Amino acid sequence: MTPDRPPISISIEDVHVRFRVFEDRELRLAELARRGFRSRRASEVQALQGVSAQIRVGESVGVLGRNGSGKSTLLRCIAGVQPMITGRVRIRGRAQLLAVNAALDGKLSGRRNVLLGGLAMGIPRVEIEERMDEVIAFAELEDAINRPMRTYSSGMKARLTFSIATMTAPPILLIDEALAVGDRKFRRKSLERVREMQQNAGTLLMVTHNLNEIRSTCQRALWIDHGRLVADGPAEDIVDAYEANDD
Amino acid sequence: MRRNLLGGSAKYPSPIRHHETMTQTSTETLHAGDDFEGLRDARTTDRLGPYLLGVWNRREWTWYVAASELRSRQVNSILGNLWHLLSPLLQVGVFFIFFGLILEVDRGVDNFIGYLAVGIFTYLFTQKATMAGGRSMTKYRPLMQLISFPRALMPVTATLTEALAAAPAFLVMFIVALSSGESPSLAWFLVAPVFAVQTAFNAGLALCVARAVSRVFDIQQVLPFIFRLGFYASGVLFNVNAYLEGNSLRILFELNPIYCFIEVNRGLVLGDQSVDWSLAVTGAIWAVAMLVVGLIWFRGAEDRYGDDR
Repeated sequence: MTPDRPPISISIEDVHVRFRVFEDRELRLAELARRGFRSRRASEVQALQGVSAQIRVGESVGVLGRNGSGKSTLLRCIAGVQPMITGRVRIRGRAQLLAVNAALDGKLSGRRNVLLGGLAMGIPRVEIEERMDEVIAFAELEDAINRPMRTYSSGMKARLTFSIATMTAPPILLIDEALAVGDRKFRRKSLERVREMQQNAGTLLMVTHNLNEIRSTCQRALWIDHGRLVADGPAEDIVDAYEANDD
Repeated sequence: MRRNLLGGSAKYPSPIRHHETMTQTSTETLHAGDDFEGLRDARTTDRLGPYLLGVWNRREWTWYVAASELRSRQVNSILGNLWHLLSPLLQVGVFFIFFGLILEVDRGVDNFIGYLAVGIFTYLFTQKATMAGGRSMTKYRPLMQLISFPRALMPVTATLTEALAAAPAFLVMFIVALSSGESPSLAWFLVAPVFAVQTAFNAGLALCVARAVSRVFDIQQVLPFIFRLGFYASGVLFNVNAYLEGNSLRILFELNPIYCFIEVNRGLVLGDQSVDWSLAVTGAIWAVAMLVVGLIWFRGAEDRYGDDR
């Protein structure tokens, strides 16, 4: 271990995740009698099966894999919101997750959602109000900010979500396809902000199906398949290998 | 720059490392020490003290959520916030017609409509708060999947939202009392501390229900019937003293925390009823016990909330 390398920012240690799922099908009495009440219609889905990786401060890491391979689950583990069977995840500082289906309340206005989101992230109210105009301006929502969020288009929602999540430059930013719905201009703008944050000793993990985005933004990539880490290395090599495997 | 960050070629002999080698590297680095200093668990793993501090630190969020919720509840109705007053008034009216005028269960009570109002609002406060606590785990689920915070915050927020929602109902209680011939007294102010104690009890119960519902969702379906049963077993509609004079069943009522809150409030608000302070003590003991048990039991499953889809 060379001493000049930056310290570990995220340490993922042999993480296993399993979901309880209630299947949508008829339950037969005979089956109920056979299996007993305990198992009900619940079955289990293995989402992650022993993933380990260390990510250092200042690294930007892309996460690749097919739909349902466990990418989002891995990001949720790092954000500390995902119950795990075994293993643990340790982080340095605060990790902020940014996802498409973000926890915004459609009945409330964009402005109220900025406040709600900020408070839930643990930012003091005065600080949020100080940054309010900045957040609204970055999301380009000056005209619509007092309308209920349910009237927003998916692009508008995505812009506001991104703007809220990055309002205080978290040390660790986890982006789960959150940039995919925005238009070209906003994507460029938000990628720029992400790079800026990462250069200021931030760590970035990004799930996206846009391989060019990984090539241009990330130094390193993790390839996940069926809940296992199949490859970990320089972004370009991994993306090439992933592409070759896909075709 | 890129190669440097990745640790050079010695650490990564081939561009693609397979999982087996991966595990070896991570155990090796685990013993390396220095680099790992200052890391903390990504989940909330605090002991009880810091855990409660985490809840307290988000009080601004709680208040804001509660206020927004009340605002949005009536946003599509013509009378708007007036419904916070009108619906409790209608509730008392319906019960008064059936139990006061038709069934005449007003044995031993002078001001029956006032008696009903206090009973109904006090009871419904606990019922609504507990039910909301059970729903909170599904309701705030999107937030749970995004941000890490002490999960107890969700049932607690649901309870406080219901406390705010119940405040207008308690106002109606005083209006009904005044218009049915009660004269205001200083004792009315004591309803506020009783309300606070009842809120603590509700929070404890809501925490228990939240954990139970998150494991066995079916409980949510049974709860309304349990509360309907409790409605009759808490002396909401009739004077227990008049019906169970000298009966040993009375002790069951006196140990029922909701009955305690109702009777104490009646003693404070209604002129012809007196406060039985032993009931006030029983209610307070229940509240403290429930809150402590609720917090400890809820936290016992802290790292399992949200493991279902």
